[in-house]
Amino acid sequence: MGVNQSGLPLLGSPAFVTTRLDFVVNWARRNSLWPMPFGTACCAIEMMASAASNFDLARFGMERMSFSPRQADVLICAGRVPYKLAPVLRRIWDQMMQPKWCISMGACASSGGVFDVYSMVQGIDTIVPVDVYIPGCPPRPEGLIYGLMMVQEKIRRESLANHAELRAEDPLAAGRPRAGDQEVADLTGPFGNSTDQNRVSGLVATDAVRRSEDRLP
Amino acid sequence: MATRTIEYGVGRNPEMGPGGTLAASPTEPFDAPEPDLGSETMLVNVGPQHPATHGVLRLIVELDGETVVNVTPRLGYLHSSFEKLGEYRTWNQIVPLTDRMDYLAPLIYNCAYVMSVEKLMGIEVTERCKVARVICMEMDRIFSHLLWLGTWSIDVGAFTPFLYAFQQREKVYKLHEALTGARITTSATRIGGMMADLPEGWTQGVREFADNLPATLDEIDGLLRHNAIHIGRTQGIGAISAEDAVNHGLTGANLRASGVPYDVRKDRPYYDYESYDFEVPIGCHGDCYDRYLVRMEEMRQSIRILHQALDRLPGGPINVEDPRVSLPSKTDCMSDMESMIHHFKLVTEGIPAPDGDCWFSVEGSKGELGMYVVGDGGPKPVRWRIRPPSFVNLSAIPKLSEGHLMADLIVINASLDIVLGEIDR
Amino acid sequence: MNPFDLVAQGPAPSGDATRAERGANEAEPGNPTVSALRARFSDAVLGNSVTAGDQDVVHADPARIGEILRWLHDSPAEQYDHLADLTAVDYGGGRPIEVVYQLWSIPHRRALRIRCALPLHALEIESATGIWTGADWLEREVFDLFGVRFAGHPNLRRILMPDDYGEGHPLRKDFPLRGRFSRAEQTRRALNQDPESYYVPGEIGDRVPQVVAAEPGDPSLAEEDHGDEDD
Repeated sequence: MGVNQSGLPLLGSPAFVTTRLDFVVNWARRNSLWPMPFGTACCAIEMMASAASNFDLARFGMERMSFSPRQADVLICAGRVPYKLAPVLRRIWDQMMQPKWCISMGACASSGGVFDVYSMVQGIDTIVPVDVYIPGCPPRPEGLIYGLMMVQEKIRRESLANHAELRAEDPLAAGRPRAGDQEVADLTGPFGNSTDQNRVSGLVATDAVRRSEDRLP
Repeated sequence: MATRTIEYGVGRNPEMGPGGTLAASPTEPFDAPEPDLGSETMLVNVGPQHPATHGVLRLIVELDGETVVNVTPRLGYLHSSFEKLGEYRTWNQIVPLTDRMDYLAPLIYNCAYVMSVEKLMGIEVTERCKVARVICMEMDRIFSHLLWLGTWSIDVGAFTPFLYAFQQREKVYKLHEALTGARITTSATRIGGMMADLPEGWTQGVREFADNLPATLDEIDGLLRHNAIHIGRTQGIGAISAEDAVNHGLTGANLRASGVPYDVRKDRPYYDYESYDFEVPIGCHGDCYDRYLVRMEEMRQSIRILHQALDRLPGGPINVEDPRVSLPSKTDCMSDMESMIHHFKLVTEGIPAPDGDCWFSVEGSKGELGMYVVGDGGPKPVRWRIRPPSFVNLSAIPKLSEGHLMADLIVINASLDIVLGEIDR
Repeated sequence: MNPFDLVAQGPAPSGDATRAERGANEAEPGNPTVSALRARFSDAVLGNSVTAGDQDVVHADPARIGEILRWLHDSPAEQYDHLADLTAVDYGGGRPIEVVYQLWSIPHRRALRIRCALPLHALEIESATGIWTGADWLEREVFDLFGVRFAGHPNLRRILMPDDYGEGHPLRKDFPLRGRFSRAEQTRRALNQDPESYYVPGEIGDRVPQVVAAEPGDPSLAEEDHGDEDD
């Protein structure tokens, strides 16, 4: 806080000005989030229920569902994403303006869920960066609202000082897998769901499931 | 067969011609020669991410001006390979997959699937289970039609019915939750019965829902039925003749709106549907307005069935008492060696189904929902095939929308009541 | 007969060609169409059975299926005007793939199932689109997922999988559950799809995409053996 990217103090009263500016900007940003509902399956129905009268997303300044990605702040990916839909999701993410956040709603979007099959993306974090994962199959509307509030909390802690770092985007990477080959393999490897019960039950020898970053030096 | 033919009641403004254009156009007296604009058509892409496609359907529309020349639907944007996954699951493990397929009427799918497997295995479920499943299926028919009503009214330009419909849907969500613990993904059925018996006070909740729903339906109907905009946008739009509808394989409300009284509940009754007193609504014109009327009437008939089923719900066990099929009670498991062995074998090995194949269909909320199961004597299916009603219904959309306006295409698509989870499977 | 008696016999050996018929009992067909079919197409009807208690199945010669379906649809005594379902079953182990027609006659309220066994080296059968328009997408789906070709189909392309899907036909028994490529390769291919393809007038209907299939030794193929089909 109070320093710019090069680490030098800003002019004037740096700490005070940027903190207050951060506060105002983040307050404005987090209380008028416009979600882009990328609803595909069951979770989309719960998303509709969240927007309807009983749960009323409007209480959080999020009732304005923006079906155009260019005017949206939060991508809510609700439901399973097959490989055939992957380029569409990636394109929608690329079309959204900065600052933008992404919520992966439900088990299928977060990890593939029960659909460990040939046609399904095993977690949208292989395609777009995800800020908040909401577990559940599907998550209840309260879960979605809590996830959106976590995005708000995340925004509250952001600072303009490291804006360039937080909001960096490589235009050349558009349309490319966000995760590298090894990471995709690790993220999507057999994780012990019921199609691989033999591995879990120890009947077939297998290595422990690890992500590449998790390995100790 | 008890059917009820529904007449329009209110027609469109006589000055309006088909397609919503004024028959006596104010520009006619000028009679200016239409400029020759050539014959080039334009392609418009709708979807896969579009709020009016009800999911991730993609329609490539060829337009001449604003008139639809051709529609090419492109599917598969939600292909989750349920059928392949089912081949790796035991018979009971497939139940949770079924409600993720049609998340608008999950209990109908749960029931239809286990009914097909029970037919293959030759299991006759208990009377209480039959009536409980009828209650579940009729409740979810209403549940699904309410969502259709909400999205349909959004597509014709009204937002209020969506909020009204969702208030009623929340009541069904609560009933689902009381029954199974989940709001949408119910997985309520098991082969040979239900996951658990109906909870205490649940039938009373269903009765209250069935008592209160007609008021909401009347309210929504009052907003739409005589509404000039609604009528102008739906009467005469997307009409299909009875012959064509049958040839295209349409089922459910879409077929009945064209005047064909085909309803699986009446034609191939299951679970004593022949003993319930209800009518099958039939339309006269086969257009979008008729589909609206038929679905509204279907909800009212479902309420009638619900009342009758609640009245006749018998006591007794809900699961068949066959140790090869049903799990023993927890108490038996803990105290009785034989029950424990049955429990262990059922959980680890699953239920073996006989060698052979079986087709079973029920009247789902979208149309005829068929399940084709092939067993080989083992605990997993060789093939589990779903006959998806909305997949076949949607295949008629190029025929339905030809010659209509682009805006009508959205209404036609909404009137078919599709769910993409089931189309792409 | 108690169906569980069959279960007690245990699964049939996978090479047993008669296993598909084992579940059938010898009861008389309840549907008069079966005997009418046998009388009219005595050489093309290879057999009939009753499964699941009361369901009539006719095993037909795939070479003459068009004729049979046409007669079933048009003949005034039959009028099977509703094609309820059209699908296929792969039993695995090199056995033939069966195409299954599920018919329903709305006027006569009768159901009939027709099964046609197609050997794996000749997966082609006459299209039913000329009889029921609704068969169009169902046949495309069978082609997509099983690789059965329908002669005379106006637009036989993949329907659920991407047009240039290179891994084969997913519902075949030899297709692993997670697909043939590694996840990384599947993701890369998915993101390299062009969402705008088939968006030009000439391309919507008839462009046949170039399918890039992997050779057996291709590193993009998944290393591990994913699924055990007999599992």
